[in-house]
Amino acid sequence: MGTGSSRHETSAIITGLRRSFWTRGVGILLAVALNCWPLFEAGTRPSGFVTPAPAVPANGSPFLLEETVNPDSPYAMSHVASLSELPDGRLAATWYAGSREGAGDVAIYFSTRSPTDTRWSLPRAIVTRESAARDLNRYIKKVGNAVVFANPVGKLSLLYVTVSIGGWSGSSLNLTTSVDGGATWSQSQRLTLSPFFNLSELAKNAPAALIYGSWAVPIYHELISTFPEVLWLDETEEGVRVTKSRVSAGWFGYQPALTPLTASTALAVLRTDDDSKAVSVARTDDGGETWSTPNSLSLPNPDAGLDAIRLTDGRLLLAFNDSTTGRENLRLALSTDEGQTWTRIATVVEEAGADFSYPFLMQASNGDVHLVYTWKRAAIRHVVFNTPWLDGWRTRSGR
Amino acid sequence: MSHATIVEVCSAVCPWLALMWCLQRAARLVGLPLRGWTLLAMTGAIAAAVMLVPIQGLELARWVAGLNANFSIPLTAILAVIVWERIFERSLFSEREWTTAWSFGAIGGLALYPMALGLGSFDPYEWGWRFSLLFVAIGALTVWLIWKQNRFGFLLLLAVVAFQLRLLESTNYWDYLLDPVYSLVSIAWLAGGLMASMRSSRTKRFSKTLPPSISMS
Repeated sequence: MGTGSSRHETSAIITGLRRSFWTRGVGILLAVALNCWPLFEAGTRPSGFVTPAPAVPANGSPFLLEETVNPDSPYAMSHVASLSELPDGRLAATWYAGSREGAGDVAIYFSTRSPTDTRWSLPRAIVTRESAARDLNRYIKKVGNAVVFANPVGKLSLLYVTVSIGGWSGSSLNLTTSVDGGATWSQSQRLTLSPFFNLSELAKNAPAALIYGSWAVPIYHELISTFPEVLWLDETEEGVRVTKSRVSAGWFGYQPALTPLTASTALAVLRTDDDSKAVSVARTDDGGETWSTPNSLSLPNPDAGLDAIRLTDGRLLLAFNDSTTGRENLRLALSTDEGQTWTRIATVVEEAGADFSYPFLMQASNGDVHLVYTWKRAAIRHVVFNTPWLDGWRTRSGR
Repeated sequence: MSHATIVEVCSAVCPWLALMWCLQRAARLVGLPLRGWTLLAMTGAIAAAVMLVPIQGLELARWVAGLNANFSIPLTAILAVIVWERIFERSLFSEREWTTAWSFGAIGGLALYPMALGLGSFDPYEWGWRFSLLFVAIGALTVWLIWKQNRFGFLLLLAVVAFQLRLLESTNYWDYLLDPVYSLVSIAWLAGGLMASMRSSRTKRFSKTLPPSISMS
């Protein structure tokens, strides 16, 4: 009996050891295989900015056109406009409007204007608090900043901010697309970009197109400290792939304007909220992998949004509030040395005590330069001019 | 069932388990004579029903998702272990395994969140989107824990399986391993343990200094 019992015990131990060995073996193999799997997946960080198109001949005589995008807006507040050009030459603009910033009735509006139109189309709400809540299937307290951009075949993408809890520092980013010129939009998708409850990721300026059709979107974080980042966005047949990288650490500017100079070189022109009260610039020479520490420029910044683009003739154009204290003016400056030095060349608007903010620049395929901005927090203004107007402004103003 | 629906269901598992745990505690407090599978089925069903209660047209589970849609796999599995242990009064994790679980949450959280929120110029969160040192480190840790027969290793294995299946809204590996709730609870647990051991060592030191006649022991 004793021998039989001991044989049973030995057998049980051997069975236990075998089971343990198999469990551990399979577990270890799975752990190695699954953690190594991403090594064989296609990289999600695209490389190479689309190099700016060669210069188009400047249109003959200087011209400037100013108009209001939403002249009949029933709302007291309109803010944060963005602009994109569709392949057929139409302009598409977005902004948000409502009774006040952050109110529940704020919606993201969309309007288009073809070169032959005399005015912008009737604005249409494309994202409301309710539609975002329905699409994302969660509570949405308010919607905010939106940036629209079109790919070469005319697919429009809209990156927009929603907040479920708290103020703007509680923002998350969402994406929706349209393949019919903005008539209909896909179900929005939440992008997870922060490990801390996915909080505090916002966008303000236009993305830079990348080789192979993906995007480098300038975004920023502002929960505990503010800092600029780049969202690498790849919209494929299988879905959206995202990665994110940092432009600079906390307290070194935000709301970046991403301005590619070559395939591997770009500037991030930054709004600053520090004591320098100056526009600052960081530079990458390796396609956005690493960035220089931001340098302050001689141009002031009253902690206000700005935008910069590279014109097709190689010069850089900046739209900014030329003040350390307020947003009473909106000026343009040019740089011919890749952003090291800037020359003020034009005043777009100026009025004591008024608020002109959040400029957004774009150069269309015909060479015209478009600027949209928030006019007294009440409307969105659109200014279009050509490069001869830019070149002639100094002469005309006598400065 | 679409992938989006699966992701929504997965986001509700962690709050559902947390609610089950609360219900079990409540059942024990009021002295309900329920045990084992009956208690599991009852609390599971009630918790599921509560999660599906619409409040202003939105289920409670989706209200929670509005606050956090990416509860980590270890936190979810830890809650499942706690629920199971309480119901069946049988230990699944040893003391060593609990220490591993809370240490992982605390160390991981301290390594990730301060830097991801802007401390310094390096953002470790970037590592979660593509093959990086994070995958190597977690792979090595998982292998080591499984080899040492530490069951927390299997929780990490579940996390990488969930990541490969993209069961959460996030596509970043970090979110499958950690979340702020898990890290905060882990830090609190470790801090509590540290304070308890400090108190205990102080008491021992104090009792050594007393004459034998009034020694605390």
